Amino acid sequence: MRFILEINLRGSGRDMNEKIKISTRNLSVFYGPKQALFDINLDLVENKVTALIGPSGCGKSTFIRCLNRMNDVIDLCKVEGSIKVDGKEINTKNTDVNLIRERIGMVFQKPNPFPKSIYDNVAYGPRIHGLAENQEILNTIVENSLKKAALWNEVKDRLNQPGTGLSGGQQQRLCIARAISINPEVILMDEPCSALDPIATAKIEELIDELKKSYTIVIVTHSMSQAARVSQNTGFFHLGKLIEFNLTEKIFKNPDNKMTQDYITGRFG
Amino acid sequence: MSKVEKIKLLKKRYKAERRFKFYGILSVCLAILFLFILIINIFSKGSGAFFKTEILLNIKFDEKKLGLNINSSDKEIQEANFEEILKDALLVLAPKVPELKQAELIDMVSIDAALEVKKFYFYNKGVLNKIAEVPLTLSDDLDQVYKGNFPRDIPEERRRFSDFQLKIFDDQISKNKIVYKFNWSFLTNADSREPELAGVASSLAGSFFTILVCLILSFPIGILAAIYLEEFAPKNKITEIIEVNVNNLAAVPSIVFGLLGLGVFLNYFYLPRSTPLVGGMVLALMTLPRIIIPCRAALKAVPPSIREGALALGASKVQTVMHNVVPLAMPGTLSGTIIGLSQALGETAPLLLIGMIAFINVVPATPIDPSAVLPVQVYLWSESAERGFVEKTSATIIILIFFLIIMNSFAIYLRNKFERKWS
Amino acid sequence: MNLVILSFILFFSLSFFFIGKARVLRLANYNIKNLNSLPEYYGYYLAAWCALPALIILFFWSIFELSIIKIFVLSDFKLDPTIDDNKLNLIFSQIVSIAEKKFSGTIPQNLIPYVEKFIALNKIIELSKFAVLFSAIILSLIFAYRQILKNIKARESVEKIIRGLMFLCATLAIFTTFGIVLSLLFESIKFFTSVSIFDFLTGTNWAPGRAFVRDASVQTANVENVFGAIPLFWGTTFIAAIAMCVAVPVGLFSGIFLAEYSSRKFRKITKPLIEILAGIPTVVYGFFAALTVGPLFRLVGEKFGLEVSSESALAAGVVMGIMIIPYVSSLTDDVINAVPNSLREGSFAIGATKSETIKKVVLPAALPGIVGSILLAISRAIGETMIVVMAAGLAANLTLNPLEASTTITTQIVTILIGDQSFNNPKTQAAFALGITLFFFTLFINVIALSIVKKFREKYE
Repeated sequence: MRFILEINLRGSGRDMNEKIKISTRNLSVFYGPKQALFDINLDLVENKVTALIGPSGCGKSTFIRCLNRMNDVIDLCKVEGSIKVDGKEINTKNTDVNLIRERIGMVFQKPNPFPKSIYDNVAYGPRIHGLAENQEILNTIVENSLKKAALWNEVKDRLNQPGTGLSGGQQQRLCIARAISINPEVILMDEPCSALDPIATAKIEELIDELKKSYTIVIVTHSMSQAARVSQNTGFFHLGKLIEFNLTEKIFKNPDNKMTQDYITGRFG
Repeated sequence: MSKVEKIKLLKKRYKAERRFKFYGILSVCLAILFLFILIINIFSKGSGAFFKTEILLNIKFDEKKLGLNINSSDKEIQEANFEEILKDALLVLAPKVPELKQAELIDMVSIDAALEVKKFYFYNKGVLNKIAEVPLTLSDDLDQVYKGNFPRDIPEERRRFSDFQLKIFDDQISKNKIVYKFNWSFLTNADSREPELAGVASSLAGSFFTILVCLILSFPIGILAAIYLEEFAPKNKITEIIEVNVNNLAAVPSIVFGLLGLGVFLNYFYLPRSTPLVGGMVLALMTLPRIIIPCRAALKAVPPSIREGALALGASKVQTVMHNVVPLAMPGTLSGTIIGLSQALGETAPLLLIGMIAFINVVPATPIDPSAVLPVQVYLWSESAERGFVEKTSATIIILIFFLIIMNSFAIYLRNKFERKWS
Repeated sequence: MNLVILSFILFFSLSFFFIGKARVLRLANYNIKNLNSLPEYYGYYLAAWCALPALIILFFWSIFELSIIKIFVLSDFKLDPTIDDNKLNLIFSQIVSIAEKKFSGTIPQNLIPYVEKFIALNKIIELSKFAVLFSAIILSLIFAYRQILKNIKARESVEKIIRGLMFLCATLAIFTTFGIVLSLLFESIKFFTSVSIFDFLTGTNWAPGRAFVRDASVQTANVENVFGAIPLFWGTTFIAAIAMCVAVPVGLFSGIFLAEYSSRKFRKITKPLIEILAGIPTVVYGFFAALTVGPLFRLVGEKFGLEVSSESALAAGVVMGIMIIPYVSSLTDDVINAVPNSLREGSFAIGATKSETIKKVVLPAALPGIVGSILLAISRAIGETMIVVMAAGLAANLTLNPLEASTTITTQIVTILIGDQSFNNPKTQAAFALGITLFFFTLFINVIALSIVKKFREKYE
């Protein structure tokens, strides 16, 4: 409880113009009898990139999967506590999870394009949500999404080829295009570069920087340098607890917590 | 242990090794040998049925004897009697034959020969009052003699054909009046009591309708059940009971399904007996677990990342499964279904119990006409005494196996071509 | 008739799919964003409400239609105490077949008024079916249409319907098992009221043909003595045992060879070839046994001065064994492949030869799986019908001589039920009693086999 108090105190010292997009209070997750997250209190700021770091198995992926209710997919998983999006509680039985996921997109660790054409991959979301009244609008959506994902120039001549035929980095950008095709408010990225080579990683990072203008982004990453490069805020997770949450600069230069310090300087992890 | 003893023991051990390996090879070879014996046996017996012998007979289409003229309507031709001119033509083969032998002469051609003459006339009306050479199906016994299936040298009283018939037959062979050609009528005729006329058309149609009904029922139900069990079913008692039931039904003897069909479909619901409708329903129940099991395996093989990708886009569970998972599981499901249907196609026992064993001499036109199916036809003909039916039975088996090979190769093709390997 | 109604329902729901879709689009001023779901879902919603209630009504109507007509038509006969249920059923099936003009033989004159009554009733019921279905469709459509106009969340409703439908399809497996057990039990219980279950299970005389002659000349006591099923149980076991004598060694050694010795290429060719044996229809084996193997055995027997009947347990058993080889070999192959390599390497490392490794290490580890596969093969052999029907004969001999004819449970079921059987006599019911014995017996073996195999899989996977 001491950490939480500190975070909140420091949070209040921030720029008051920042709008909180998602906030979680006392968020706990259980896999069967095993507790995976302990009372997470965290605020995600609109149009900023928030990075979540920590050793593997610390619960950061579990955390972002709570935000778009993807943990519902796992049978044994139970999520307790409050998650508010724009001040509205979403962790209730009555919430339409499909609407939540329409507003909060997700990019996964391993690129998972559907085994369909590139065009259909991007058009799938708009189709099921009825975002395009006719083919022309759909074409525009697909084109814009691919452009935003910086993939358009590479694939514009082969939109009908299968998305699975692209290279790893291209596949991941296709997945990003797919995620932004339905114009979400938030994009959750679960270690989006872990399966990619450095060049593809650089491209994705560039893209994240570009995307934050229009979206709120949460990125889980293994790489501290990546967190430092792309994020404005950083949270450090350890063994299912949020140890420290602050401005990225602060975390990397002068963390409050000894454990954070140790992790960042590579003493454990 | 001395060195000599050791070498001796080693030799013994190696000998045992070789022996063991030899048993293995022997078993594999034995199994394959059985397969080849079976296939060669059936093919050597059955290939003859695809050919038949015909006699070219000079028939005089006498106006008066037929009671027809050049302007006769089709109906009049239908009603005309062609037996007499046929008999006249046959008598020409052995002039001055005693009355007694005339019957033997007529028996040389098939019982439907007069019909064949009529058909010939129907398409060649110009032959009225002329003599034309008409090909007529020979009787089954002489057909078998020609194919060498009946020995000629046994005493006459133990044969089904007389010396007299044989003499005329040989005479005709030497005159090149006996032709041997592809037996289309085997594929186009319905069942008959006469081997030379019997064909598989009725049972082919019956099999087609039965499998069609089976497919229409079992495919959608099987897929929906598999999707439910694999994607939606909560982990509870009911799901468990369903799963146990599916697995056990796959191993229930097929004849039990026949009893079910008889007890429930026929005696309780009064559905029409002997029909492909009921046959298809029974086979559908039998095929159901055989579709559900491979379909579930195919669904299971689709990686969860595909489901997560769609769900994260806000697609509902049903949309995710229907749009993204099921299409990927289709190749595996389809090949499983085809294999299930090919088993249904070869199934006999349950169909016997619901009465699909009646003698059907017309080709069924709908699934609610009584009919036989190919394997039942095999059973029916194998019980017949005539030598000609042995050949027909084997030929029916060849046709059945032909369809099975096509279906199974298609299933294998689907699996190899479209099934995705997920890394 | 039902087919016509079905196509009508199909046509209706299809058209209402388009009507619903168009209507909500108009409602939303052609802007999809004003709707709670995609317009298609409103179409599906309307179509489902149009078709489902009607189909459910049609289904249950068809089930109970005849039973209701039966009650009315047969009300007069019910008063007659000499006519029991069995006779009633017989009379009714006669009436039905006369009404459908499928009756062969002379039509009993006393039934004609009832036939007319049947036809009249049938007409009324048919008409009322039409009326009920039509009003059901109209009512549910009105309800659904109103719902649509409220801009409900149509996707959720449609998905609920789809899930329900899937659940229903899945439960069909339960219903099938129920149907099997109930239909078998129903007739078997009737059978056991006239023949004691003890006589059935322990009697050694099987001659159901004589049960047919139930007139004055033969005492009814005969009925009880002719249904002793022991010879059938024996025949079934005997032939299955012969089959296993062929299938187990050949299948086992083939499986071992394919899994342990053969090159990948050899295996790729031979395994499917052996599996073809399981894909050949059983009637083909029956034909092969009856026309080739049977006579061959007799010929060989004659040479050695043995008397072999043309339909022998040996011929049927051997051919059945050939059919079962792949069931044993493929499963053995799979099971042996599932044994982890570390076990083999451990044995090789102490200098054991391959065969020693297989015999001492691999086979013991794979034993449960192999036993399971053999049990499954036995259950196949017991339930196999066509081979024994065509090649094993009909004589219910209690014999140890494989060269004599022998009969099995399945053979007797088929012989009893083939052809024109009048239901409701102990002979026909005996077939169901045999059926239920067969069902539970194979079920028992399957459950054991499947649980053994499952346990084995869990151990190594």
